Amino acid sequence: MSTTEASMADEALDEPEDDSAVKKTLGLAFWVAVGWIVTITLAAVLAPWLPIADPDEIANGAPRDGILGDNLMGTDALGRDVFARTVHGARISLGVGFLGIILGVTVGGALGIVAGYFKGIADQVISFMFFSLLSFPALVLALLITASIDRSFWTVAMTLGILGIAPIGRLARATTIQFSEREFVQAARVIGARNKRIIIRELLPNVVIPMGALTLLGMGISIVAEGSLAFLGLSVEGEAISWGKSIVDGSQTRDLEQNAHVAFVPIAAMFLTVLALNFAGDRVREYTDVRETAF
Amino acid sequence: MAGTGHAPLRDDPNVLLTVTDLEVEFPVGRNAVVHAVSGISFDVAEGETLGIVGESGCGKSTVARSIIRLNEIKSGTVDYQGKDLASLEGEELRRIRPDLQMIFQDPISSLNPRRKIRDVISEGLAVWGNTKGSWSQDRIEELMMAVGIDPKFGDRRPHQFSGGQCQRIGIARALALDPKVLICDEPVSALDVSVQAQVLNILEDMKARYGLTLLFISHDLSVVKNVSDRIIVMYLGKVCEIGNADELYERPRHPYTRALLASIPEPAPTVDVSEGDIEGELPSPITPPTGCRFNTRCQHTTDICFTEEPVMQQVGDADQYVACHHPVEVAVSVNG
Amino acid sequence: MADPQLVVDDLHVRFPTTRGLVEAVNGVSFTLEKGQMLGIVGESGSGKSVTAKTLMNLLPRTAEVDGSITFEGQDVRDLAQRKQKHFWGVKMTMVFQDPMTSLNPVKKCGEQIAETLRYHMGDDNSTALEKAVDLLEQVGIPEPAKRVNQYPHELSGGLRQRVVIAMALACEPSLLIADEPTTAVDVTVQKRLLDLLDRLRQERGMSMVLITHDLGVARGRCDDVAVMYGGRLVERAPTEVLFSDSRHPYTEALLRTIPRIEQPSHTRLEPIEGRPPELINPPEQCAFAPRCRHAQAACLEGIPENSGLPGMREFACFYPSNTERGDEAMAANIAAGQTVTGLTIAQPAEGGS
Repeated sequence: MSTTEASMADEALDEPEDDSAVKKTLGLAFWVAVGWIVTITLAAVLAPWLPIADPDEIANGAPRDGILGDNLMGTDALGRDVFARTVHGARISLGVGFLGIILGVTVGGALGIVAGYFKGIADQVISFMFFSLLSFPALVLALLITASIDRSFWTVAMTLGILGIAPIGRLARATTIQFSEREFVQAARVIGARNKRIIIRELLPNVVIPMGALTLLGMGISIVAEGSLAFLGLSVEGEAISWGKSIVDGSQTRDLEQNAHVAFVPIAAMFLTVLALNFAGDRVREYTDVRETAF
Repeated sequence: MAGTGHAPLRDDPNVLLTVTDLEVEFPVGRNAVVHAVSGISFDVAEGETLGIVGESGCGKSTVARSIIRLNEIKSGTVDYQGKDLASLEGEELRRIRPDLQMIFQDPISSLNPRRKIRDVISEGLAVWGNTKGSWSQDRIEELMMAVGIDPKFGDRRPHQFSGGQCQRIGIARALALDPKVLICDEPVSALDVSVQAQVLNILEDMKARYGLTLLFISHDLSVVKNVSDRIIVMYLGKVCEIGNADELYERPRHPYTRALLASIPEPAPTVDVSEGDIEGELPSPITPPTGCRFNTRCQHTTDICFTEEPVMQQVGDADQYVACHHPVEVAVSVNG
Repeated sequence: MADPQLVVDDLHVRFPTTRGLVEAVNGVSFTLEKGQMLGIVGESGSGKSVTAKTLMNLLPRTAEVDGSITFEGQDVRDLAQRKQKHFWGVKMTMVFQDPMTSLNPVKKCGEQIAETLRYHMGDDNSTALEKAVDLLEQVGIPEPAKRVNQYPHELSGGLRQRVVIAMALACEPSLLIADEPTTAVDVTVQKRLLDLLDRLRQERGMSMVLITHDLGVARGRCDDVAVMYGGRLVERAPTEVLFSDSRHPYTEALLRTIPRIEQPSHTRLEPIEGRPPELINPPEQCAFAPRCRHAQAACLEGIPENSGLPGMREFACFYPSNTERGDEAMAANIAAGQTVTGLTIAQPAEGGS
């Protein structure tokens, strides 16, 4: 056996660095945050079947009754159960938040990747679009859309989605440009892969990671945005319950002074959820950043 | 006026790749261009290793990348088996790709961090639809063994391997498509000295085993000499000298080649150390000097060097060509 | 003979990481005479850069340092504890590999040099700037008066590195540490930078430590060369002695593995088998044993001590190259087909340095 063949046989036995034993964990706090998000989502989905009060039932209990009275978290001005209203409110708040961001990620992400990969005219057009969207005052845009269409659940979700396209799209574009310059993308081209294959197999798995982190953060932003829309009277119309609307309901001056629980229960729910999403998003970003760099 | 001339082009049926009058430019800012490669011609015979050596900014990497169309070519032809790679487009270009593969400089950046190395190596087969059946599995294993990576680690990701191993994975990937030409762009520059020998040996072995033709780009004069049959020396987008590896280093004719050989830490015995004292800085590739591009730093210039660009000429009877108005006369070597 | 200018004794530097405690420098000792040029050669992970940073007090706060460093009779680590302001940058300075990270991209070159002079030497603005122009001239920068007002990005890599050298020399140091000063530049620029460092060193009677992975660079320029591997100093000798008659098998292996310009094209290179040493919880054995063709049982049982003549040549090996003992060890391994660490070996190719 020549020296080189022998040396290669030795090398072949070498273990590559096994880092499973030293995998950086996401941390307990991360899982607590995820736990909360999962719980509140399940509660929202299963709300109609949960053994809680009917949120619309007027005079379920004494009006403006405080926490831990007959109703767990008290009642509002019309005697409706606050706890039940908060749980049901999650359906809309989380719903528009999640759907909105999904729209933002798919449309924004796709446009961003196309702009970043193909550059040239496509990039100029798409970047101009992003720039315009970002320059437009967000709430004015929301006003325009809801005024011209309606204020149904889907429209509000779409509005929030449209507002998310530009920020997410720009991140997708920047990340795509960064990765397109890496040699492994050039290698794929040299092998003869077509653009579609390069985008899906080489770029997407890398771009998805930072975008995933931003998605979690974006959901938090959307949920809060729904709250802002509610204050302008632009949230979902009619008797539909959302956190934003509940907060507005409970924010009449007299109520805030004496029956603060009516506003603060939905505020707490929103706060905890957004906090959990922000924290989870941040942890995902940190965790995946570390995995990216080799040694 | 034509570029540096076609003198070195050989009329040999074994020639596989012929580059003629290649010009590559990159736009910079609004109105300016970088003249990265300004009219060079050379050919590569089947089974040969052609080395391209030069300092930063000489255009060697650009030449390599242009051949496989990773950059756009301004003008010139790249003749491969009767087709001009410089003018192929779309599907026609894509179809020829498996024949010409590349090894990149940065071993870690050249592998997708999110993919298993088995998938990285078999990507070529997947693209061309050959992953069905056990034949491809065998081929992947054979390639991995050939470069010295145990196939059982195929499910691992690049960050779990060392730089040298990553480079070997890159070699396996390039070989999966059974190419005729392998272009190596500074393949060992980013590796530790003790690992370089391993990778260079593997390249030699793979060349012999798979009947490859190699184009080897490097700034390291010793490495280039070790692997090459013929060597091209480039400066600021032009070719200074072409010749057989041993001959060139023994009897360098171009002042720049001599300067390089005199500048390396352990200077070549065939030149005088003082020839490495070239003054000045590298001129800007946006406004390269007229006449001979080396005229701002050469110790032997005369008037003609500033007005007329030198054309490639054969030197003596050897397979050696220089583009210089005053190539250095070298007596038969007197190695003691 | 006068006392050595720099004495490093049993230096250990450790870094806590998520994977464990990294022993980056594992018992390094050496001395440097005044005016001497010492080359430290090693690959990545050998500990050479960490050693340099330890001398310059540039380690992160998490680093744990043991051992002593004495410069011109002063305990350097004690100075570090007392937060001495005018030692580093004055008596002992450093030049780094990448001039772009040593230079502030938003400050003019002259200003960066002047800053050092104002801080350490107490010069006023105009004196400092005058000296800066003078320094730029000394390091061979053409049109220094013009360059002094330029930003780093307006200069080429070679010129930037000269500015860095000017900064390092501003306060007339006695010792200059250059950590891979020419790795990022072309070969023709490298030659001129090394010529410059040679000239400046001789003019000023300065000592220098030149850290490099390039054996050729060390050979051409240094009085003595030390080789590092796995955080340890495995050999040190006057340059020509090291290159023609080395004792440590790693030095020998390095010399055989690099392509040499005198060799004909297609000379088969001799790789060094195996992988770089483990720096986390390194076993109590010779760090090079798993890759060494001479390895015997003793190599796995303890760390070899420095033998040889201190101040003349030193090496840490039980079965050194170019000795009878070492040759016998290798012959025994060849006969057995493998070393005690399981490294397979065959008859090595003929031909050497």
